[in-house]
Amino acid sequence: MGNKLIDLQGISKSYGKHMVLDDLNLYIRENEFLTLLGPSGCGKTTTLRIIGGFESPDTGRVVFDGQDITNLPPNKRHLNTVFQKYALFTHMTIAENIAFGLKIKGKSKAYIDDKIKYALKLVNLDGFENRMADSLSGGQQQRIAIARAIVNEPKVLLLDEPLGALDLKLRQDMQYELIRLKNELGITFVFVTHDQEEALTMSDTIVVMNQGYIQQVGTPENIYNEPENAFVADFIGDSNIIPGTMIEDELVEFLGTKFKCVDKGFGNNKPVDVVIRPEDVELVTPDKGTIKGVVTHLIFKGVHYEMEVMANGYEWLVQSTKMSPVGTEVGIKVDPFNIQIMNKPESEDEEAVGVDE
Amino acid sequence: MKNISKKIYLALIILFLYLPIFVLIVASFNDSKILGNWDGFTLNWYRELFDNASIMNALKTTLILALLASIIATVLGTLACLTISKMKKSTRTIIMSITNIPMLNAEIVTALAFMLLFVGLGISLSFSTVLIAHVTFCIPYVVLNVMPKVSQMDNNMYEAALDLGATPFQAFYKVTIPEIMPGVLSGFLMSFTMSLDDFIITHFTRGSGIDTLSTKIYTSVRKGIQPEMYALSTILFVTVFVLLFLVNYGPSTKAKKSVTTFVFKSKMRVAMVTAVVLIFGVVGYFALKDDKNYIGDLYVYNWGEYIDPEVIELFEEETGYKVHYEEFETNEEMYAIIAKGARSYDVICPSDYMVEKMIQNELLAEIDYSNVPNLQYIGEQYMTSAEGFDPGNKYCVPYTWGTVGIMYNKTMVDDEVNSWSILFDEKYEGQILMQASVRDAYCVALSYLGYSINTLDEDELKEATDLLISQKPIVQAYVIDQVRDKMIKNAAALAVIYSGEAIYMQEENPNLEYVVPDEGSNVWIDGWVIPKDCQNKEAAEAWINFMCDPEIALMNFEYITYSTPNEASRELIEDEAIRNSQIAFPDDAVLSRCHVYNYLGKEGDELYDYYWTMVGGASSE
Repeated sequence: MGNKLIDLQGISKSYGKHMVLDDLNLYIRENEFLTLLGPSGCGKTTTLRIIGGFESPDTGRVVFDGQDITNLPPNKRHLNTVFQKYALFTHMTIAENIAFGLKIKGKSKAYIDDKIKYALKLVNLDGFENRMADSLSGGQQQRIAIARAIVNEPKVLLLDEPLGALDLKLRQDMQYELIRLKNELGITFVFVTHDQEEALTMSDTIVVMNQGYIQQVGTPENIYNEPENAFVADFIGDSNIIPGTMIEDELVEFLGTKFKCVDKGFGNNKPVDVVIRPEDVELVTPDKGTIKGVVTHLIFKGVHYEMEVMANGYEWLVQSTKMSPVGTEVGIKVDPFNIQIMNKPESEDEEAVGVDE
Repeated sequence: MKNISKKIYLALIILFLYLPIFVLIVASFNDSKILGNWDGFTLNWYRELFDNASIMNALKTTLILALLASIIATVLGTLACLTISKMKKSTRTIIMSITNIPMLNAEIVTALAFMLLFVGLGISLSFSTVLIAHVTFCIPYVVLNVMPKVSQMDNNMYEAALDLGATPFQAFYKVTIPEIMPGVLSGFLMSFTMSLDDFIITHFTRGSGIDTLSTKIYTSVRKGIQPEMYALSTILFVTVFVLLFLVNYGPSTKAKKSVTTFVFKSKMRVAMVTAVVLIFGVVGYFALKDDKNYIGDLYVYNWGEYIDPEVIELFEEETGYKVHYEEFETNEEMYAIIAKGARSYDVICPSDYMVEKMIQNELLAEIDYSNVPNLQYIGEQYMTSAEGFDPGNKYCVPYTWGTVGIMYNKTMVDDEVNSWSILFDEKYEGQILMQASVRDAYCVALSYLGYSINTLDEDELKEATDLLISQKPIVQAYVIDQVRDKMIKNAAALAVIYSGEAIYMQEENPNLEYVVPDEGSNVWIDGWVIPKDCQNKEAAEAWINFMCDPEIALMNFEYITYSTPNEASRELIEDEAIRNSQIAFPDDAVLSRCHVYNYLGKEGDELYDYYWTMVGGASSE
């Protein structure tokens, strides 16, 4: 991955009294697949729209390829957007839709025809030139929207929840399709989604956002395995988040029991949050576990079973390929490597505050 | 069984809805002037329609008005929609309700409100005021049609265009407008249709000289609706029908593509532009044609069908004045317009009592007779009669005159007719037609009782009222226009009628005879007057002088068949029977027992109206 292509510096944006983004700093590297992930209202779409030029920030700068483009209108920016509901022009044929940007730029007819062919082939929709936009299925419209954007050879493609309107199977297909496209085109993708699985599947880098602040930036593995706070842990996958105390380096106490861990530097006897992924909880016979519990719920999820185990007053979420029926007495064991310690926020506000890179 | 009754029911409904229109369309191709007599198929009425300059002028006004109003309303309405759609939902709902209300509001209320507004603001009614009113009532229809398209449109579409490199203007022109075009087109067509067939609002807001097809049809009913009007109405109906068809079936989902491509594919665009250019071309041709040797404008306000249209053209050619000719249906309607100052005219043709009222209310200017040398051709006796309402002959030059009398059918009445008493004879129960106008009805009763037709004595009026009420059971109907058709078709035996109509009716049905009863009757005079606020007195006097020209008076006499006070003109009548007709030109003995109606004053009018309401004459139609 290359240099910083887009650099957002100190971006703030509010609508009336409502603060949407507060002093956001973020850079996007060339050829990166970066995903802005967060619940609705977290500011991810606003961030994308600021990059696209559809919103202007109250403070801060947008730097693109070394140039300040904060005040450049969208039509002058070297990037294209794929909108949530595709925004295809329904009064035009597919070919006219794809040709729109090229015609505006005054390209020759031969060039445009070539590009249309190429783009349709790229999105696996050869021969759709003369269809009308609204005669296509959602997935097909989605591909046309992408085709329409990429014929302009943008350096960056912005995608605003583009898979949100598709059904599950189609969504998964399109995820692979997007990865393939990105690799073939070799350009930067900035992707917005609230679906953590989508983010984990496709991204090089994930930016987790909440209430206008960046919570964590990292690779999918990094974000999943080492969430920096309870919000990230909770938002990315399922988690057991248990309040506890850091006795000393590599030793944490929660639910009245001491557990070994690998984290250091939190100080002695400091309140912390402990994150344990459900698949990292091992169910063993009662005598072999660190603490004892009873299975209270059991659901079959396909690849694994999901169980709830009541132990020391906390209901643990456990995923395992082995089934333990409801009522079974079990022991709970966690590998020290799988215990993730996070600083405990003192207040709600602090929970939202950014942890910029 | 159920199916058949369903079909019958449907057929009945369609019949109920479209039978009147069907009759109208058939009548427009009927060679006979008389309703109900089928004399064979003809296109004559259509030919006469297109030869009639004043109708073509109204057509021109209607088209320009509808086109301008719908274009302006479409632009304003569409922009409004684009703005409204950006509002908060709560505000949007309120604004949408506000724009919808004018559509449901009673048209007469809207019309009155507009007239009050314009008059109140001191804006004199003109083409612009009609245009403003039309634009206003068209906008809600545009919003109604465009709004759904705007809401349907993906908000991101405009941004997508910007994103692809379009400037804001390009994005608006190439994406937003085409996306909502089906709605805009429907809105435009709907507005065009609404404007095209609007009558009430146009009637109340138009300035002098402005006539649209609908106001033209309305004002021409005074002398009975001419068959050209059936033809005109047919054309209007077909036009509106086609436009509505386009609105409803054009932008349907099925045809959506074809309509959107329709507007933006070059071929159709060319067709549309050609159509617009054609309309403007035709209109422009008419407009230019009018413009030779122009020296000024003259606004004339006259009864409907009360002049030979050719006379107007001759006047224009001879003098160079451009005539804006307007028609009214009753003296009272005209008076309201003039007294309020809503529209100003240069020359008007009211009846005797109305001239008196206008003199008393100082609405008239004295005529400078040095500009009316042709006055010499008007008979002395008529000027004397006119002194009854215009002492000193300062304000009014007689144009037509006549008597009120009885027309009867010789084959249906065997008694000698020389008294009003025959109208109260039960022998003719169901055969009698009365005039549905207060003064004429009371003229009959008061003359019969031997009282003055201008009486203000309550006892006399009461007696006359009782007489009219007791007569009602034997009266077939109180009528205005149908009297002609009914008498000609032998549908009634006796009718109260104006002498002017009698000549024409006699030509159509030789069994009809006209009599001015021995008890006396009304002699009426309609004459030209110049209102005080006239803009071009010189032109008005030129017009009056022109009307007094013997040749011109003859043309008018032959066209409208009401007696002319122009002695020289009477000498020119070729048909001896008419020249010596006792109907058109009764001898002095008849005239001496007739009286003009006087203006009774406000209280007098109210008194007559009060008793007239008790008779309920008009309601028995």
